[in-house]
Amino acid sequence: MIVSVLNKHLISATILLAFAFSLLTLPGCGSNKKENEIVIWHNMRPEEKNVIQEQLDEFMKLHPGIKVIQLYKETEEMRSGYIVAAIGGEGPELIYGPSDQVGPFVEMEIIKPLETVFSQEYFSDYNKDALIYTNNSLWMIADKLGNHLTLVYNKDLLPVPPKTEKELIESGMKLTKDFNNDGRTDQYGLVWNYTEPYFFVPFLTGFGGWVLDSLNQPTLNTPAMVAGLKFIQDLRDKYKIIPNEADYDIADVLFKEGKAAMIINGDWSWSSYGNAGINYGISTLPYITVSGHYATPMVAPKGYSINVNVDDEKLAKVRMLLEFLLSSEKQLETSLEVKTFPSRTELYNDPRLLNDEILLNSKKQIEQGRALPIVTEMRAIWDAMRPSYQAVLGGAITPEKAAQLMQEDAVKKIREMREDVDNPVWGLIVQVLMLLIVLAALFFTRKSIVAFFRSFKKNTFAYFLVLPALVIMIAVVLYPFIYNIILSFSNMSLSHIHDWKITGFEQYAKVFVEPQFYEFFLKTLIWTFSNITFHVVIGVTLALLLNKKLPGTGIFRTLLILPWAVPQYIVALTWRGMFNYEYGAINLILVKFLSMSPVEWLKSPTEAFMAIIITNIWLGFPFMMIIALGALQSIPQELYEAADLDGARWFNKLKTITIPLIKPVMIPAITLGIIWTFNNINVVWLVSNAGEPSDKTHILVSFVYKAAFNLYRYGYAAAFSVVIFLILFAFGMTFLKRTKATESVY
Amino acid sequence: MNKKKFLANFLTYIFLIVFTVIALYPIINVFTISIRPDDRLLSTSLSIIPEGATFKQYIELFTNRPFLLWVWNSAIVSFVVTVTGVALASTAGYALSRFQFIGKQVSMLGLLTTQMFPATMLLLPMYIMLIKLQLINSYLGIIIVYSATALPFCVWQMKGYYDTIPFSLEESARIDGCTKWQSFYKIILPLAAPALVITALFSFMTAWSEYIVAAQVLQDTDLYTLPLGLKSFQSNLTTEWGLYAAAALVVSIPVVILFIILSKWLVSGLTLGSVKG
Repeated sequence: MIVSVLNKHLISATILLAFAFSLLTLPGCGSNKKENEIVIWHNMRPEEKNVIQEQLDEFMKLHPGIKVIQLYKETEEMRSGYIVAAIGGEGPELIYGPSDQVGPFVEMEIIKPLETVFSQEYFSDYNKDALIYTNNSLWMIADKLGNHLTLVYNKDLLPVPPKTEKELIESGMKLTKDFNNDGRTDQYGLVWNYTEPYFFVPFLTGFGGWVLDSLNQPTLNTPAMVAGLKFIQDLRDKYKIIPNEADYDIADVLFKEGKAAMIINGDWSWSSYGNAGINYGISTLPYITVSGHYATPMVAPKGYSINVNVDDEKLAKVRMLLEFLLSSEKQLETSLEVKTFPSRTELYNDPRLLNDEILLNSKKQIEQGRALPIVTEMRAIWDAMRPSYQAVLGGAITPEKAAQLMQEDAVKKIREMREDVDNPVWGLIVQVLMLLIVLAALFFTRKSIVAFFRSFKKNTFAYFLVLPALVIMIAVVLYPFIYNIILSFSNMSLSHIHDWKITGFEQYAKVFVEPQFYEFFLKTLIWTFSNITFHVVIGVTLALLLNKKLPGTGIFRTLLILPWAVPQYIVALTWRGMFNYEYGAINLILVKFLSMSPVEWLKSPTEAFMAIIITNIWLGFPFMMIIALGALQSIPQELYEAADLDGARWFNKLKTITIPLIKPVMIPAITLGIIWTFNNINVVWLVSNAGEPSDKTHILVSFVYKAAFNLYRYGYAAAFSVVIFLILFAFGMTFLKRTKATESVY
Repeated sequence: MNKKKFLANFLTYIFLIVFTVIALYPIINVFTISIRPDDRLLSTSLSIIPEGATFKQYIELFTNRPFLLWVWNSAIVSFVVTVTGVALASTAGYALSRFQFIGKQVSMLGLLTTQMFPATMLLLPMYIMLIKLQLINSYLGIIIVYSATALPFCVWQMKGYYDTIPFSLEESARIDGCTKWQSFYKIILPLAAPALVITALFSFMTAWSEYIVAAQVLQDTDLYTLPLGLKSFQSNLTTEWGLYAAAALVVSIPVVILFIILSKWLVSGLTLGSVKG
């Protein structure tokens, strides 16, 4: 007996030691920046990534002392991640992306002016569009021009591309076909991601409009905007040459499957059409005869900026790397490989490039294009255009009304973004209040604190058990938590990233005057309660059935946890596909098996909201099922046997035995489930494509993320989060009090 | 009676089958994407086996990509987080269930409140804190963060389960001469096996699938965990969907295996009933 106990202790001691040891020897503790390492963050597509990796390998061979790492990040994530890292004094040495990211980076002072790195002569080798100047300095050198939309056409279906909008409509109508006469279009004349404002811009310019004036004020409420919106409506409703519902992926698939004759898409997509076996050509977007303008895409060069945190020693290496990557030789290599247009002047008319039909047409389109404004205001423009544009497409408002709303919204968003609060009096009051609250808290808990230290000895065992968990929680959460509360009283925003200060309650006031706050609060409640109800009901029901231990339940049990096990990202997008109006599985089932009419899931706000709830129910029920399954084990079988002897029916047994006895385990899970669901941004983001249609499919967290973070309103975002926190806190207290979950049942 | 039972069992199976189909269908879709010859997320056809189906993505995954390295990295991180989660939650949950001490209510509520703040908002200060502690680009940093993410649920969950175990068990153990620690470790802990399984699974999943914090903290590609690796198949508007889908399915296999292994304790019920009754 003694030996075996000793053995057990030895084993557990060994495990603990091994564990502690493994923690100590984990890689990287404290070894931060390496002197000879250069990191590049970029948003290149796979082919570009392969080319740059080859070039980097070559560079590292030439300079054995330097290690260069390239890391892909999705554009938005790269931007926000870089801001966080650079403000923290870290981040990659180089950041590569489209020119419009320069705007916010310059305002936040997180990239270096390049005049301090290169000589003036060096810049003269570049096309002027490749050098991104603002605030009297140069901030980015591009290696690629373009990133622009063009018309891509399937040569097998359409030998000659349309030159004007009339030809576009004409060939579109000819090529939109219902081969089997079942009322469903089998081939479209034209497809593209037309619900997204960026993809609409060519038809704004085509009617003579633009997004900003020279003072960076929005110019959205114009006849050109109205005409452009009407044109898109006509393409869909009058000429019926584009699909009723299209996002990027649907348009892409239709063209790749040869079910669309033309697509409007950017230079990043072309090679994938070749890979899919489509005999494609590209052509400039059509000339709009009624207005006398070309449909003009936005052109945005892509290039490198240097992190402000790069120190002098490293700068020489970074400069060497840039000179290497931006050299004519490397640019030519890249251009021929990935079909983008180089930025060096000497390559501009290079026959090796212009002999390539794709590059030649691409160049024509670039020359017709208009530079994407790099000012931060563009963020507000996109966010203001999207909802009203989609509302027009959904038939909710007229084009005239939409143009007006876009303008108003853009003006409002720019004002909010630029708004500067500075109220020294309130700032001081808040600071004094904070101090008073801390002192009061100390004062009123002084007895408890003393009692705590007195009782420590008596309850040593309990404290010994509970403290490690508490310490780790406090260590990780306390600092960020307090930081955020302070931030919520501050004016931290685009123009006050480094020099923010406490200014008072303005940010809170803004939260409560935001009319959409109440709308999305209601939606969040519906979202949370419908999700949790279904999670618990489905989860517990399945657990009860699985717990019957019939033959084969082991297999069901394993299969049923799969929605939890597969990474959320891809299944959420799969669900989005299943909700597609024409091709999605759900409508097909509704029509074929249930004889219902198809539902426009992603086009109208109510249905889109249902779609995200359905997806999240699917993702979440396995978790509740496992918890319930565990909880059921604590019920002694004898209780049921006794009940059986009394002749109790199953419903009575459920009510009097099962539910009360699994309650202690289920209540914590339900409480936390509610809190998590309330703040669950992922599914909303993925399935509704960040709130579409018209930014109506939001819950509070996704709304604050979009409305505040997108416009760099950090103080406001923090205040919003504190409000969310207080709502949940109030709820949590009430819920726990009513269910008595903090108290033991015995 | 027998006929009734048969009907009940029959309905049970029907219900289970329906839900299994619903649970599996989207995942089968992911499988279809993974065997499609070209990188396409969607298709206008609903067939499960696409035209020209191929397993080349799976081969690519294991031969040309550092996939196994990511699996290994994630396994280390998840293992440590699981051990930490189980060790800390089983002890803290026990103390909160069994003892009356000052600060108990505050601790329980404190744990809960940490979950109420929108996590995306905490990223900036958390990152600044990790920089100050020199924990950037280190597993220690993310392990601490993941453990803290998983702990509140695990502690509450363990506490709830301990609550269902009668106090009389420890009392009799103490009478038999066990110390406080022994009666916890040898009597109560084994009875809480189902809850330990849930704690372990939850901690494991937290670490196995987390992306946002990892993306900010781990910059060195050699340290990449699975979610970071998977994300590298993605790019703006041109994602390697086939590869992504294949990897997503392969990634879920360890979770399923872990679940199958742990299932034994999840549904065993042990001897609790006989003591309690």
